[in-house]
Amino acid sequence: MSVSTLATEALAVFAKEVRSELRSRVAINAIGLFGLTTLVAVAYQIGPYQIHEQDRPHLLAALLWIIVFFAALSGLQRVFVKEEDAHTAKTLRLAARPLAVWGGKLLFNVVLLAALEALLVPLYSVLMGMHVVGVAPLVVLLAAGCLAMASTATIVAAIIARASGSGTLFAILAVPLMLPLLVMLIAGTRMAMTSPRWGDLLPALQGVGALAGVTVVASVYLFPVIWHD
Amino acid sequence: MTDKATAGIWHWLLGAWMLLVIYGAFFYAPTAQGFVGESARIVFFHVPQAWVSVLAFCVNLWASLRYLARRDPLDDARAAAAARLGLLFCTLATVTGSLFAKVMWGEFWNWDPRQISIVILLLVYAAYFALREAIADEERRGGLAAAYATLAFVTMPFLVFVVPRIYFSLHPDTLINVRGSIDMEPRMLRVLLASLVGFTGIFVWLYTLEVKLARVLIARQRRGES
Repeated sequence: MSVSTLATEALAVFAKEVRSELRSRVAINAIGLFGLTTLVAVAYQIGPYQIHEQDRPHLLAALLWIIVFFAALSGLQRVFVKEEDAHTAKTLRLAARPLAVWGGKLLFNVVLLAALEALLVPLYSVLMGMHVVGVAPLVVLLAAGCLAMASTATIVAAIIARASGSGTLFAILAVPLMLPLLVMLIAGTRMAMTSPRWGDLLPALQGVGALAGVTVVASVYLFPVIWHD
Repeated sequence: MTDKATAGIWHWLLGAWMLLVIYGAFFYAPTAQGFVGESARIVFFHVPQAWVSVLAFCVNLWASLRYLARRDPLDDARAAAAARLGLLFCTLATVTGSLFAKVMWGEFWNWDPRQISIVILLLVYAAYFALREAIADEERRGGLAAAYATLAFVTMPFLVFVVPRIYFSLHPDTLINVRGSIDMEPRMLRVLLASLVGFTGIFVWLYTLEVKLARVLIARQRRGES
Protein backbone atom coordinates (compact mmCIF):
# COMPACT_ATOMS: atom_id res chain seq x y z
CA MET A 1 0.00 0.00 0.00
CA SER A 2 1.56 3.29 -1.07
CA VAL A 3 1.67 6.09 1.50
CA SER A 4 0.80 8.76 -1.07
CA THR A 5 -2.32 6.84 -2.18
CA LEU A 6 -3.37 6.46 1.42
CA ALA A 7 -2.84 10.19 2.02
CA THR A 8 -4.88 10.99 -1.10
CA GLU A 9 -7.70 8.76 0.12
CA ALA A 10 -7.55 10.35 3.58
CA LEU A 11 -7.70 13.83 2.04
CA ALA A 12 -10.70 12.74 -0.04
CA VAL A 13 -12.46 11.55 3.14
CA PHE A 14 -11.54 14.86 4.81
CA ALA A 15 -12.93 16.84 1.84
CA LYS A 16 -16.15 14.78 2.02
CA GLU A 17 -16.40 15.57 5.74
CA VAL A 18 -15.93 19.29 5.11
CA ARG A 19 -18.53 19.35 2.32
CA SER A 20 -21.01 17.35 4.39
CA GLU A 21 -20.44 19.59 7.43
CA LEU A 22 -20.83 22.78 5.40
CA ARG A 23 -24.20 21.46 4.19
CA SER A 24 -25.58 20.52 7.62
CA ARG A 25 -23.34 22.61 9.98
CA VAL A 26 -24.38 20.39 12.89
CA ALA A 27 -20.91 19.91 14.43
CA ILE A 28 -19.86 23.53 13.80
CA ASN A 29 -23.04 24.85 15.41
CA ALA A 30 -22.83 22.41 18.34
CA ILE A 31 -19.17 23.12 19.14
CA GLY A 32 -19.23 26.84 18.39
CA LEU A 33 -22.48 27.66 20.18
CA PHE A 34 -21.70 25.45 23.17
CA GLY A 35 -18.30 27.11 23.52
CA LEU A 36 -19.63 30.65 23.15
CA THR A 37 -22.64 30.12 25.44
CA THR A 38 -20.48 28.64 28.18
CA LEU A 39 -17.92 31.40 27.77
CA VAL A 40 -20.60 34.11 28.07
CA ALA A 41 -22.10 32.42 31.15
CA VAL A 42 -18.69 32.11 32.82
CA ALA A 43 -17.63 35.66 31.88
CA TYR A 44 -20.97 37.10 33.09
CA GLN A 45 -20.94 35.28 36.42
CA ILE A 46 -17.23 35.40 37.22
CA GLY A 47 -15.64 37.92 34.82
CA PRO A 48 -12.14 39.34 35.21
CA TYR A 49 -12.77 41.10 38.56
CA GLN A 50 -14.28 38.34 40.71
CA ILE A 51 -11.04 36.36 41.02
CA HIS A 52 -8.22 37.30 43.41
CA GLU A 53 -4.91 38.03 41.71
CA GLN A 54 -3.12 35.01 43.26
CA ASP A 55 -5.92 32.64 42.12
CA ARG A 56 -6.06 33.90 38.53
CA PRO A 57 -3.59 31.46 36.86
CA HIS A 58 -5.22 28.41 38.52
CA LEU A 59 -8.84 29.35 37.96
CA LEU A 60 -8.52 30.90 34.49
CA ALA A 61 -6.52 27.94 33.14
CA ALA A 62 -9.02 25.43 34.56
CA LEU A 63 -12.09 27.35 33.30
CA LEU A 64 -10.61 27.75 29.80
CA TRP A 65 -10.02 24.01 29.39
CA ILE A 66 -13.38 23.08 30.89
CA ILE A 67 -15.08 25.25 28.24
CA VAL A 68 -12.94 23.84 25.38
CA PHE A 69 -13.30 20.26 26.62
CA PHE A 70 -17.09 20.21 26.94
CA ALA A 71 -17.55 22.14 23.68
CA ALA A 72 -15.36 19.52 21.98
CA LEU A 73 -17.36 16.67 23.54
CA SER A 74 -20.55 18.10 22.08
CA GLY A 75 -19.37 17.95 18.46
CA LEU A 76 -16.39 15.65 17.87
CA GLN A 77 -18.38 12.42 18.25
CA ARG A 78 -20.44 13.13 15.14
CA VAL A 79 -17.80 12.05 12.60
CA PHE A 80 -18.72 8.38 12.86
CA VAL A 81 -22.20 8.52 14.41
CA LYS A 82 -23.54 10.40 11.39
CA GLU A 83 -22.29 7.65 9.04
CA GLU A 84 -24.24 5.03 11.02
CA ASP A 85 -27.32 7.29 11.26
CA ALA A 86 -27.34 8.00 7.51
CA HIS A 87 -26.50 4.33 6.69
CA THR A 88 -23.46 5.48 4.69
CA ALA A 89 -20.88 3.56 6.77
CA LYS A 90 -21.05 0.47 4.52
CA THR A 91 -20.43 2.55 1.40
CA LEU A 92 -17.52 4.28 3.08
CA ARG A 93 -16.06 0.86 4.00
CA LEU A 94 -16.11 -0.08 0.33
CA ALA A 95 -14.84 3.28 -0.92
CA ALA A 96 -11.81 3.79 1.29
CA ARG A 97 -9.31 1.81 3.32
CA PRO A 98 -9.76 1.90 7.12
CA LEU A 99 -6.64 3.98 7.75
CA ALA A 100 -7.71 6.53 5.14
CA VAL A 101 -11.15 6.83 6.79
CA TRP A 102 -9.55 7.26 10.21
CA GLY A 103 -7.00 9.76 8.86
CA GLY A 104 -9.65 11.86 7.11
CA LYS A 105 -11.96 11.89 10.14
CA LEU A 106 -9.06 12.69 12.50
CA LEU A 107 -7.95 15.57 10.28
CA PHE A 108 -11.51 16.93 10.25
CA ASN A 109 -11.73 16.79 14.05
CA VAL A 110 -8.30 18.43 14.40
CA VAL A 111 -9.35 21.30 12.10
CA LEU A 112 -12.68 21.68 13.93
CA LEU A 113 -11.00 21.79 17.33
CA ALA A 114 -8.23 24.12 16.11
CA ALA A 115 -10.92 26.50 14.79
CA LEU A 116 -12.69 26.36 18.15
CA GLU A 117 -9.45 27.13 20.00
CA ALA A 118 -8.60 29.95 17.55
CA LEU A 119 -12.00 31.53 18.25
CA LEU A 120 -12.36 30.78 21.94
CA VAL A 121 -8.89 31.39 23.41
CA PRO A 122 -8.45 35.04 22.27
CA LEU A 123 -12.08 35.80 23.18
CA TYR A 124 -11.63 34.18 26.58
CA SER A 125 -8.40 36.16 27.15
CA VAL A 126 -10.22 39.43 26.46
CA LEU A 127 -13.44 38.68 28.38
CA MET A 128 -11.77 37.06 31.39
CA GLY A 129 -8.63 39.21 31.50
CA MET A 130 -6.26 36.29 30.98
CA HIS A 131 -2.73 37.66 30.51
CA VAL A 132 -0.38 35.16 28.91
CA VAL A 133 3.36 35.83 29.24
CA GLY A 134 4.50 32.72 27.38
CA VAL A 135 2.50 33.11 24.16
CA ALA A 136 4.67 30.88 21.93
CA PRO A 137 4.76 27.95 24.43
CA LEU A 138 0.99 28.29 24.92
CA VAL A 139 0.39 28.12 21.15
CA VAL A 140 2.46 24.91 20.95
CA LEU A 141 0.57 23.51 23.96
CA LEU A 142 -2.77 24.37 22.31
CA ALA A 143 -1.67 22.62 19.10
CA ALA A 144 -0.49 19.49 20.96
CA GLY A 145 -3.66 19.51 23.08
CA CYS A 146 -5.78 19.84 19.94
CA LEU A 147 -4.14 16.77 18.36
CA ALA A 148 -4.35 14.72 21.58
CA MET A 149 -7.99 15.61 22.24
CA ALA A 150 -9.06 15.10 18.61
CA SER A 151 -7.27 11.73 18.31
CA THR A 152 -8.87 10.40 21.52
CA ALA A 153 -12.29 11.74 20.51
CA THR A 154 -12.01 10.25 17.01
CA ILE A 155 -11.22 6.69 18.12
CA VAL A 156 -13.83 6.79 20.92
CA ALA A 157 -16.37 8.15 18.39
CA ALA A 158 -15.61 5.14 16.17
CA ILE A 159 -16.22 2.79 19.11
CA ILE A 160 -19.55 4.32 20.16
CA ALA A 161 -20.79 4.51 16.57
CA ARG A 162 -20.33 0.72 16.34
CA ALA A 163 -21.78 0.21 19.84
CA SER A 164 -24.97 2.20 20.16
CA GLY A 165 -24.33 5.64 18.69
CA SER A 166 -25.29 7.22 21.98
CA GLY A 167 -23.86 10.62 22.89
CA THR A 168 -24.06 9.74 26.57
CA LEU A 169 -21.84 6.72 26.01
CA PHE A 170 -19.33 8.96 24.21
CA ALA A 171 -18.96 11.15 27.30
CA ILE A 172 -18.72 8.10 29.60
CA LEU A 173 -15.94 6.55 27.50
CA ALA A 174 -14.06 9.71 26.53
CA VAL A 175 -13.95 11.58 29.86
CA PRO A 176 -11.73 9.08 31.77
CA LEU A 177 -9.33 8.87 28.82
CA MET A 178 -9.13 12.65 28.46
CA LEU A 179 -8.84 13.58 32.14
CA PRO A 180 -5.04 13.07 32.35
CA LEU A 181 -4.73 15.19 29.20
CA LEU A 182 -6.93 17.87 30.72
CA VAL A 183 -4.87 17.92 33.92
CA MET A 184 -1.64 18.38 31.93
CA LEU A 185 -3.17 21.06 29.69
CA ILE A 186 -4.42 23.05 32.70
CA ALA A 187 -0.98 22.79 34.36
CA GLY A 188 0.72 23.96 31.13
CA THR A 189 -1.66 26.88 30.57
CA ARG A 190 -1.17 28.01 34.18
CA MET A 191 2.60 28.01 33.61
CA ALA A 192 2.17 30.01 30.37
CA MET A 193 0.37 32.70 32.44
CA THR A 194 3.16 32.96 34.99
CA SER A 195 6.38 32.26 33.10
CA PRO A 196 7.64 33.03 29.56
CA ARG A 197 10.29 30.28 29.74
CA TRP A 198 9.87 27.15 27.62
CA GLY A 199 11.52 25.07 30.34
CA ASP A 200 8.68 25.71 32.80
CA LEU A 201 6.10 24.40 30.31
CA LEU A 202 8.23 21.48 29.19
CA PRO A 203 6.84 18.76 31.54
CA ALA A 204 3.26 19.53 30.47
CA LEU A 205 4.27 19.83 26.79
CA GLN A 206 6.12 16.51 26.89
CA GLY A 207 3.18 14.82 28.61
CA VAL A 208 0.59 16.17 26.15
CA GLY A 209 2.80 15.45 23.13
CA ALA A 210 3.52 11.90 24.29
CA LEU A 211 -0.17 11.26 25.01
CA ALA A 212 -1.07 12.52 21.53
CA GLY A 213 1.61 10.24 20.05
CA VAL A 214 0.55 7.06 21.84
CA THR A 215 -3.13 7.69 21.10
CA VAL A 216 -2.41 8.14 17.39
CA VAL A 217 -0.24 5.00 17.26
CA ALA A 218 -2.80 2.93 19.21
CA SER A 219 -5.57 4.23 16.92
CA VAL A 220 -3.66 3.17 13.80
CA TYR A 221 -3.68 -0.41 15.08
CA LEU A 222 -7.14 -0.42 16.63
CA PHE A 223 -9.20 1.44 14.07
CA PRO A 224 -9.26 -1.32 11.39
CA VAL A 225 -10.56 -3.75 14.06
CA ILE A 226 -13.27 -1.35 15.21
CA TRP A 227 -14.25 -0.34 11.69
CA HIS A 228 -14.74 -3.90 10.44
CA ASP A 229 -16.14 -5.38 13.66
CA MET B 1 -3.23 -36.06 43.49
CA THR B 2 -6.26 -34.59 41.71
CA ASP B 3 -6.45 -30.99 40.52
CA LYS B 4 -9.19 -30.33 43.07
CA ALA B 5 -7.02 -31.56 45.94
CA THR B 6 -4.02 -29.48 44.75
CA ALA B 7 -6.24 -26.40 44.46
CA GLY B 8 -7.55 -27.07 48.02
CA ILE B 9 -3.99 -27.16 49.39
CA TRP B 10 -3.12 -23.90 47.63
CA HIS B 11 -6.21 -22.19 49.06
CA TRP B 12 -5.30 -23.29 52.62
CA LEU B 13 -1.73 -22.11 52.07
CA LEU B 14 -2.99 -18.77 50.80
CA GLY B 15 -5.25 -18.40 53.86
CA ALA B 16 -2.36 -19.21 56.21
CA TRP B 17 -0.08 -16.80 54.32
CA MET B 18 -2.60 -13.97 54.66
CA LEU B 19 -2.98 -14.67 58.39
CA LEU B 20 0.82 -14.32 58.71
CA VAL B 21 0.68 -11.06 56.71
CA ILE B 22 -2.02 -9.66 59.03
CA TYR B 23 -0.01 -10.73 62.09
CA GLY B 24 3.17 -9.25 60.61
CA ALA B 25 1.44 -5.97 59.69
CA PHE B 26 0.27 -5.36 63.28
CA PHE B 27 2.88 -7.08 65.49
CA TYR B 28 6.11 -7.74 63.55
CA ALA B 29 6.59 -4.51 61.58
CA PRO B 30 7.74 -1.56 63.72
CA THR B 31 5.86 1.75 63.95
CA ALA B 32 6.88 3.98 61.03
CA GLN B 33 8.47 7.35 61.76
CA GLY B 34 6.89 10.57 60.47
CA PHE B 35 3.31 9.30 60.41
CA VAL B 36 0.38 9.96 62.77
CA GLY B 37 0.10 7.10 65.28
CA GLU B 38 -0.08 3.67 63.66
CA SER B 39 -1.60 5.00 60.42
CA ALA B 40 1.34 3.82 58.28
CA ARG B 41 0.37 0.16 58.89
CA ILE B 42 -2.36 0.60 56.28
CA VAL B 43 0.44 0.56 53.69
CA PHE B 44 0.58 -3.26 54.04
CA PHE B 45 -2.94 -3.47 52.60
CA HIS B 46 -3.30 -0.29 50.53
CA VAL B 47 -0.19 -0.74 48.35
CA PRO B 48 -0.96 -4.41 47.46
CA GLN B 49 -4.56 -3.46 46.58
CA ALA B 50 -3.31 -0.69 44.27
CA TRP B 51 -0.75 -3.13 42.80
CA VAL B 52 -3.44 -5.75 42.12
CA SER B 53 -5.70 -3.17 40.45
CA VAL B 54 -2.84 -2.31 38.05
CA LEU B 55 -2.03 -6.03 37.59
CA ALA B 56 -5.69 -6.65 36.73
CA PHE B 57 -5.50 -3.87 34.16
CA CYS B 58 -2.45 -5.60 32.61
CA VAL B 59 -4.25 -8.98 32.53
CA ASN B 60 -7.25 -7.23 30.99
CA LEU B 61 -4.97 -5.88 28.23
CA TRP B 62 -3.36 -9.29 27.64
CA ALA B 63 -6.75 -11.02 27.33
CA SER B 64 -8.11 -8.18 25.15
CA LEU B 65 -5.20 -8.44 22.71
CA ARG B 66 -5.63 -12.23 22.62
CA TYR B 67 -9.33 -11.75 21.86
CA LEU B 68 -8.54 -9.34 19.01
CA ALA B 69 -6.09 -11.89 17.57
CA ARG B 70 -8.09 -15.13 18.06
CA ARG B 71 -11.74 -14.11 18.63
CA ASP B 72 -12.14 -16.77 21.33
CA PRO B 73 -15.10 -15.89 23.65
CA LEU B 74 -13.09 -17.25 26.59
CA ASP B 75 -10.51 -14.48 26.10
CA ASP B 76 -13.30 -11.90 26.24
CA ALA B 77 -14.52 -13.54 29.47
CA ARG B 78 -10.93 -13.44 30.81
CA ALA B 79 -10.70 -9.71 30.01
CA ALA B 80 -14.05 -8.99 31.70
CA ALA B 81 -13.08 -11.07 34.77
CA ALA B 82 -9.79 -9.17 35.15
CA ALA B 83 -11.61 -5.83 34.81
CA ARG B 84 -14.22 -6.85 37.42
CA LEU B 85 -11.50 -7.77 39.91
CA GLY B 86 -9.56 -4.63 38.98
CA LEU B 87 -12.63 -2.54 39.77
CA LEU B 88 -13.00 -4.30 43.15
CA PHE B 89 -9.35 -3.83 44.18
CA CYS B 90 -9.29 -0.27 42.81
CA THR B 91 -12.30 0.56 45.03
CA LEU B 92 -10.57 -1.04 48.05
CA ALA B 93 -7.36 0.94 47.33
CA THR B 94 -9.40 4.17 47.11
CA VAL B 95 -11.17 3.46 50.43
CA THR B 96 -7.98 2.52 52.32
CA GLY B 97 -6.16 5.53 50.80
CA SER B 98 -8.98 7.81 51.98
CA LEU B 99 -8.83 6.38 55.52
CA PHE B 100 -5.08 7.06 55.60
CA ALA B 101 -5.66 10.60 54.25
CA LYS B 102 -8.23 11.31 57.01
CA VAL B 103 -5.79 10.27 59.74
CA MET B 104 -2.73 11.99 58.19
CA TRP B 105 -4.14 15.17 56.69
CA GLY B 106 -7.56 15.54 58.36
CA GLU B 107 -9.74 14.99 55.29
CA PHE B 108 -10.85 11.85 53.46
CA TRP B 109 -10.23 13.54 50.13
CA ASN B 110 -7.49 16.09 49.36
CA TRP B 111 -7.49 16.11 45.53
CA ASP B 112 -3.97 14.79 45.59
CA PRO B 113 -2.67 13.75 42.12
CA ARG B 114 -2.44 10.10 43.23
CA GLN B 115 -6.00 10.15 44.57
CA ILE B 116 -7.14 11.64 41.26
CA SER B 117 -5.24 9.02 39.27
CA ILE B 118 -6.86 6.12 41.12
CA VAL B 119 -10.31 7.67 40.65
CA ILE B 120 -9.64 8.00 36.92
CA LEU B 121 -8.63 4.33 36.89
CA LEU B 122 -11.99 3.56 38.56
CA LEU B 123 -13.77 5.63 35.91
CA VAL B 124 -11.93 3.75 33.14
CA TYR B 125 -13.07 0.39 34.56
CA ALA B 126 -16.63 1.72 34.98
CA ALA B 127 -16.62 3.02 31.38
CA TYR B 128 -15.39 -0.39 30.17
CA PHE B 129 -18.44 -2.05 31.76
CA ALA B 130 -20.78 0.69 30.50
CA LEU B 131 -19.54 -0.08 26.98
CA ARG B 132 -20.05 -3.82 27.46
CA GLU B 133 -23.60 -3.25 28.74
CA ALA B 134 -24.46 -1.09 25.71
CA ILE B 135 -23.74 -3.81 23.11
CA ALA B 136 -26.05 -6.81 22.71
CA ASP B 137 -24.09 -8.71 20.04
CA GLU B 138 -21.45 -10.82 21.83
CA GLU B 139 -18.75 -10.76 19.16
CA ARG B 140 -19.04 -7.03 18.58
CA ARG B 141 -19.08 -6.45 22.35
CA GLY B 142 -15.85 -8.43 22.73
CA GLY B 143 -14.07 -6.61 19.90
CA LEU B 144 -15.09 -3.07 20.90
CA ALA B 145 -14.47 -3.68 24.61
CA ALA B 146 -11.02 -5.09 23.76
CA ALA B 147 -10.25 -2.02 21.62
CA TYR B 148 -11.35 0.33 24.43
CA ALA B 149 -9.32 -1.62 27.00
CA THR B 150 -6.21 -1.31 24.81
CA LEU B 151 -6.79 2.40 24.32
CA ALA B 152 -7.32 2.90 28.06
CA PHE B 153 -4.13 0.98 28.82
CA VAL B 154 -1.93 3.32 26.79
CA THR B 155 -3.19 6.32 28.80
CA MET B 156 -2.57 4.60 32.15
CA PRO B 157 1.19 5.36 32.37
CA PHE B 158 0.31 9.07 32.11
CA LEU B 159 -2.01 8.73 35.10
CA VAL B 160 0.39 6.72 37.20
CA PHE B 161 3.74 8.27 36.29
CA VAL B 162 3.35 11.65 34.52
CA VAL B 163 0.49 13.52 36.27
CA PRO B 164 1.76 12.92 39.86
CA ARG B 165 5.13 14.35 38.80
CA ILE B 166 3.69 17.53 37.26
CA TYR B 167 1.66 18.38 40.37
CA PHE B 168 2.85 18.59 43.97
CA SER B 169 1.73 15.47 45.82
CA LEU B 170 1.06 14.91 49.53
CA HIS B 171 1.36 11.16 48.89
CA PRO B 172 4.36 9.49 50.57
CA ASP B 173 7.14 8.22 48.27
CA THR B 174 6.15 5.21 46.22
CA LEU B 175 7.78 1.90 47.18
CA ILE B 176 10.59 2.47 44.67
CA ASN B 177 11.14 6.25 44.85
CA VAL B 178 12.30 8.70 42.16
CA ARG B 179 15.94 8.02 43.12
CA GLY B 180 15.37 4.37 42.18
CA SER B 181 15.97 3.13 45.73
CA ILE B 182 13.73 1.53 48.39
CA ASP B 183 13.74 3.58 51.63
CA MET B 184 11.94 1.26 54.03
CA GLU B 185 12.80 -0.43 57.32
CA PRO B 186 13.74 -4.09 56.49
CA ARG B 187 10.98 -5.68 58.64
CA MET B 188 8.35 -3.40 57.12
CA LEU B 189 9.65 -4.22 53.66
CA ARG B 190 9.43 -7.97 54.37
CA VAL B 191 5.78 -7.67 55.48
CA LEU B 192 4.93 -5.47 52.51
CA LEU B 193 6.50 -7.89 50.02
CA ALA B 194 4.72 -10.82 51.72
CA SER B 195 1.43 -8.90 51.46
CA LEU B 196 2.08 -8.17 47.77
CA VAL B 197 2.52 -11.92 47.19
CA GLY B 198 -0.62 -12.71 49.24
CA PHE B 199 -2.84 -10.20 47.45
CA THR B 200 -1.51 -11.38 44.08
CA GLY B 201 -2.46 -14.92 45.19
CA ILE B 202 -5.99 -13.76 46.08
CA PHE B 203 -6.28 -12.13 42.66
CA VAL B 204 -5.08 -15.30 40.88
CA TRP B 205 -7.54 -17.43 42.90
CA LEU B 206 -10.56 -15.19 42.20
CA TYR B 207 -9.56 -14.78 38.56
CA THR B 208 -9.24 -18.55 38.10
CA LEU B 209 -12.71 -19.05 39.64
CA GLU B 210 -14.21 -16.44 37.28
CA VAL B 211 -12.55 -18.02 34.23
CA LYS B 212 -13.71 -21.53 35.25
CA LEU B 213 -17.28 -20.23 35.57
CA ALA B 214 -17.03 -18.49 32.18
CA ARG B 215 -15.71 -21.70 30.59
CA VAL B 216 -18.76 -23.63 31.91
CA LEU B 217 -21.18 -20.94 30.70
CA ILE B 218 -19.59 -20.85 27.22
CA ALA B 219 -19.67 -24.66 26.95
CA ARG B 220 -23.33 -24.72 28.00
CA GLN B 221 -24.16 -21.97 25.49
CA ARG B 222 -22.40 -23.92 22.72
CA ARG B 223 -24.30 -27.10 23.63
CA GLY B 224 -27.54 -25.11 23.49
CA GLU B 225 -26.68 -23.77 20.04
CA SER B 226 -25.70 -27.17 18.57
